[in-house]
Amino acid sequence: MKTLITSGLALGLLATPALADMDAARALVDRYSQTPTFEAPGEPFDARACMADKSMFVIPLTNANPFNAAISQGFVDAAEMVGFSLRDWETQMDPAGWIQGINTAVAEGFDLIDLQGGLPPEFLVPQITEARAAGVKVTATHNWDATTQTVPDFMDGAANTDYVTIGEIIAAWAIVQTEGQVNALVLGPDEITPTAPLRDAIIGYLTDNCPDCKTTYINVPVNDWATQGQPAVQNALLADPSINYVLPVYDSMSQFIVPAIQIAGSDARIVSYNGTPFVLDMMRDGDIVEMNVGESLGWVGMAGTDANMRLLCGLDPVTRLNTPAFIFTDDNVETAGIPATFNDGYGDVHTDGFRQLWMLDE
Amino acid sequence: MDDTQYEARIAALEAKIAALEGAAEAQPPGDGWKGWAERYGLIVAWIAIILILGAFKPAQMFAWNSYASMLGSNAMVVVLTLALIIPLTTGDFDLSIAATMGLSSMIIAVLNVQQGFDIVSAVIVALAVGAVVGAVNAFFILYFRVFSLIVTLGTGYFISGLILWVADGGTVAGVSMGLIKAVILTRVLGIPVGFYYALILTAAIWYLFQHTTLGRRMLFVGRGREVARLSGVNVTRVRAGALVASSVMASFAGVLYTGMRGVADPSSALAFLLPAFAAAYLGSTAIYPGRFNAIGAFVAVYFLSTGIMGLNFLGVDSFVQNLFYGGGLVVAVAISQLFRGRKEMG
Repeated sequence: MKTLITSGLALGLLATPALADMDAARALVDRYSQTPTFEAPGEPFDARACMADKSMFVIPLTNANPFNAAISQGFVDAAEMVGFSLRDWETQMDPAGWIQGINTAVAEGFDLIDLQGGLPPEFLVPQITEARAAGVKVTATHNWDATTQTVPDFMDGAANTDYVTIGEIIAAWAIVQTEGQVNALVLGPDEITPTAPLRDAIIGYLTDNCPDCKTTYINVPVNDWATQGQPAVQNALLADPSINYVLPVYDSMSQFIVPAIQIAGSDARIVSYNGTPFVLDMMRDGDIVEMNVGESLGWVGMAGTDANMRLLCGLDPVTRLNTPAFIFTDDNVETAGIPATFNDGYGDVHTDGFRQLWMLDE
Repeated sequence: MDDTQYEARIAALEAKIAALEGAAEAQPPGDGWKGWAERYGLIVAWIAIILILGAFKPAQMFAWNSYASMLGSNAMVVVLTLALIIPLTTGDFDLSIAATMGLSSMIIAVLNVQQGFDIVSAVIVALAVGAVVGAVNAFFILYFRVFSLIVTLGTGYFISGLILWVADGGTVAGVSMGLIKAVILTRVLGIPVGFYYALILTAAIWYLFQHTTLGRRMLFVGRGREVARLSGVNVTRVRAGALVASSVMASFAGVLYTGMRGVADPSSALAFLLPAFAAAYLGSTAIYPGRFNAIGAFVAVYFLSTGIMGLNFLGVDSFVQNLFYGGGLVVAVAISQLFRGRKEMG
């Protein structure tokens, strides 16, 4: 009889529809809705002393992109705080400009070259090898994922981003909002390095934690965002009107997704990552952009500087940026500024945090 | 030469060219189906592609909402293609149209969002700037006699730099809801109203090319500049007018592009240059084969976007769309050329 009851209970449990892990999803959302706090990435060190005779050369993906410009500004601010020489190289997303930057840094005797904000080091292996042979260290900031991607051997180091957590926050948000009934269209340009960890984290979290959730993925290369992005989303929404979330891995795609949602007459909402100011403006002024995971780019620049200084000073390496992700919604988007900026809304706890970490006030 | 003599010479020239064209276009007995296939082949292919893709995805491919959405979202491409065929008809390339569209979009956003202009004033300024771009193109092409391809390639790059400068490198959101309502949120028969602007412009340019003296003169200038000049046509004025009209229409495409998104960004408009050229050349194989024509361009844009829509419904990878776009264009034009006896394209 006991066996029968046990079997019956087991069958009953099996017959009950699996439910999404709402508690875990809510906890994740709550955690990253809090104002960011500063967690030291390593032991404090006397940055001014160890950087006294050292210099840094930063090459952004492109200065025309405010995202990269904001990270560069973080590097410049950190260098001014510490008091070492740093040059921010001007580029326009052209390999020739990147190569010229590396050659200039080597010729002028800089100690470290940082390729920041998505500049793919794989494109520059011969130049990087040559620079390292000349004694210049070469690093990358905000390019690879901190947990799922490995830094290639041809680099001296890299300060990486926790893209997996960001992807999970996006997925968790959609689960919470729909009570576990997500039908998501996920979009990404596969050729960009961080796309894979973001995409896999979003889809993986929904698959693992939400049995009733459904995802469809479309790859739209960056160069085709304008011409193919909108029709791809529009037609996906027409083909499946029950899609309730469009989750582009980078929020700049939103400008092509909003008209697709409007023209298709869909009620889908956009949740994404990057905290790009114009997308935060779209959130503030409209209803289609619902949530955005951002990070202070000035903080990213300072955290990248911290990792580079530790490398130059022979300290324990830091491979993960300590810049926390932060959730923007209609409730707090005005804290990002009107119009929004890349640095407002996150607080300025990092400035004091790094001052103490670098022992600048002692 | 007085006006009467001038008009008489133009009339004589028109009659001569009309006779030559009539002779050239006349089909040999028994070959009438070829002429029909040449004129309407693209429309037949359009219907065929709907039926073929509809066999796989009938619920989507045979739904009115699918076409209503597609017609509305491609209105801007139609206008940009129409902008392109005007100078192509007079024998000039305009590679700056996509950049001009982007400049117009950015000017509207910056003036409306950052400078506090009302949306109507911002649109008027954008169209006026378009006219200035056309005038600059015309000045360098016609005064210095530089090949239009080179001039407009240069001005296109210059304008893209200008956009970055005006935009301060960023994307501007928050354009007046009035413009968005006037482009996509207002619907007639379920189709966003932007489509009807494109339809009206198509009809206007068709009328201009087919039923006005100016349209015929533009064609003469494109077919033979020296002959047209010797016949008394003011070639410089016709070419300059076409270049200015092209840039103003490209600016209008920018108005639609901004109204569709409520946002202006510094670079995405540049991606529409190739689709516009593809549609212009594909369109020149249909309706009035051998000539850049408005109805052909209109059909070409929607033929290509119907194919893309069907491929989206089938869930194919994005590279297949590029294969369709590029391959479809080359194959369609090549088949059309076979029907035309491989005559040189206009």
